[in-house]
Amino acid sequence: MNTINKNLYLFWQGTMLSYRALFAWLRPVTYMASKILMPLAQMFFFVFLGSYASNGKNVDFYVIGNAIQITSVSGIFGVTMSVGGDRDAGTLPYLFGTPSNRFIIFFGRAFMHIIDGAIGVVIALTWGVLLMGLDLSHTNLSALGLTILVTTFSTCGLGLLMGCLSLLTANVMFVNNFVYFSLLIFSGANVEVTALPAWMQFVSNILPLTRGIAASRALAAGASFSDISPLLVSEMGIGLIYGLLGYFLFSWFETQAKQKGTLETV
Amino acid sequence: MNAIEISNLNRVYRAQIGVFNRSIKEVVAVDDISFDVQAGELFGLLGPNGAGKTTTVKMLTTLLIPSQGSARVAGFDVVKQANEVRRRIGFIFGGERGLYWRLSGDDNLRYFASLYGVDPAVSKKRIPYLMELVGLQGRGNERVGGYSRGMKQRLHVARTLLHDPDILFLDEPTIGLDPVGAREFRNVILNLQSQKKTILLTTHYMFEADALSDRIAIINKGRVIALDTPSGLKGHVSDLSVVELETFGTPESVLEKLRSLPFVDALSVEDREQKQMLLVQTKRGAEAVPDVMAALDGQRIGRVIVREPTLEDAYVRLVGGQA
Repeated sequence: MNTINKNLYLFWQGTMLSYRALFAWLRPVTYMASKILMPLAQMFFFVFLGSYASNGKNVDFYVIGNAIQITSVSGIFGVTMSVGGDRDAGTLPYLFGTPSNRFIIFFGRAFMHIIDGAIGVVIALTWGVLLMGLDLSHTNLSALGLTILVTTFSTCGLGLLMGCLSLLTANVMFVNNFVYFSLLIFSGANVEVTALPAWMQFVSNILPLTRGIAASRALAAGASFSDISPLLVSEMGIGLIYGLLGYFLFSWFETQAKQKGTLETV
Repeated sequence: MNAIEISNLNRVYRAQIGVFNRSIKEVVAVDDISFDVQAGELFGLLGPNGAGKTTTVKMLTTLLIPSQGSARVAGFDVVKQANEVRRRIGFIFGGERGLYWRLSGDDNLRYFASLYGVDPAVSKKRIPYLMELVGLQGRGNERVGGYSRGMKQRLHVARTLLHDPDILFLDEPTIGLDPVGAREFRNVILNLQSQKKTILLTTHYMFEADALSDRIAIINKGRVIALDTPSGLKGHVSDLSVVELETFGTPESVLEKLRSLPFVDALSVEDREQKQMLLVQTKRGAEAVPDVMAALDGQRIGRVIVREPTLEDAYVRLVGGQA
């Protein structure tokens, strides 16, 4: 077996097994409550609140914004668990004691959450169509599907960075919650980015999700794939930057732990 | 041929103390140790808590960078050629953590096999073989969370053998196991020894080290204070006898009085539930018993035995009764 095949096998095994091993919500009741009911309840809350505030004019705006924002449940919380779970399982020394490719291990931890997050968005959009009158009749559904995948990928990039923080501290869930709820505002899910103060718009532009939501809204309004492709490329780029930052933090953490002898104390 | 070569190895931990008046506290965990382990040898590393055993193992398994000195494992430098070392070693740290409890035993092994780059066709055959080797045949489909502590420890052994390493580091592998589990585990180690694996074993259990090891290094306060075969180490106390006395709640002042008697070479105390076992090392053998009893005047004394010294007695003498 050559190196490429070994790495592909490692990626596949690492993806599937680490998802099952480290994703603490992977039990039917917990999964339903955390990944389906809670995001849908959040979506309904903001849709009804927004609809009430705008006299029922902007329902699609809130449905799409909040449905796409659901990617961050997988992207932030799911990926953090999958990266930081080794800390709780005590498997970090055994992981770092292998000659395996760290890049593949690291990004393999996020892969299933991209699929998982995208499925969550599709469920939310389906509820939006069935219960809230979301109209996708003029939408390029293939482009919307790709947009959902790219947006989930970029939020997972942020999740990889957050996951590395969870290797350094036991209290990362506080930070995760802060980031998750900040995205509700900064990403434009519930407030037009252009309506935000300048400094908030700056933050919006360096976060994942913002462009994905804008692209999805544009597609729902009938835009073509070529219209939204610049947004997708930017969204992908932001996800990659966060993912790479996470990887460098992961590598830095491994080196520091070996130099300072903190591997067993994290 | 040497499987492990350690030369003037040193490790200092630095900890920052205080918030406003910050200062750095340095702790020397391993202090200039040197020894070699031959290929196929089972080498025991003994020492009290905090002696530097685990720190040494961590440096040899590439998980900790030495402050000074060098170490080569399987001919490769543990810092500069870490990945070459990792391909050729397996290691276990005591305890049941370090496995994915939500996965089955087989899936744990499958995942670690991929981390070591084992060909899937090889691991498919090797996993059932290893599960049988460690006595877990038929349990591979069960979640590890439902395994007993002993089963988890044995799964760790299977995990460490997935890539068929030549050198194994077993850091207190039987800690926390019940006597039956510990005996089964020792049989697994003997099996590995018969396969000509080089094994570095750290343990607190002297009889375990005595029964299994070809040679033993005793480490205390980061330094190797003795290195010999088990019988060679026992030679350090061949001139002594050990008087064992079963007592109940002997106060420290009485123990100090006993310790200060001129014919007492060393005294160690083992707490066994409500009882205490006093182990008095002396050159006077049975003749010392009346004087020892006199020193314990007023204390409740149970069984008294005079016996030949063991490896544990040699260890106690070498580390100065600090164990």
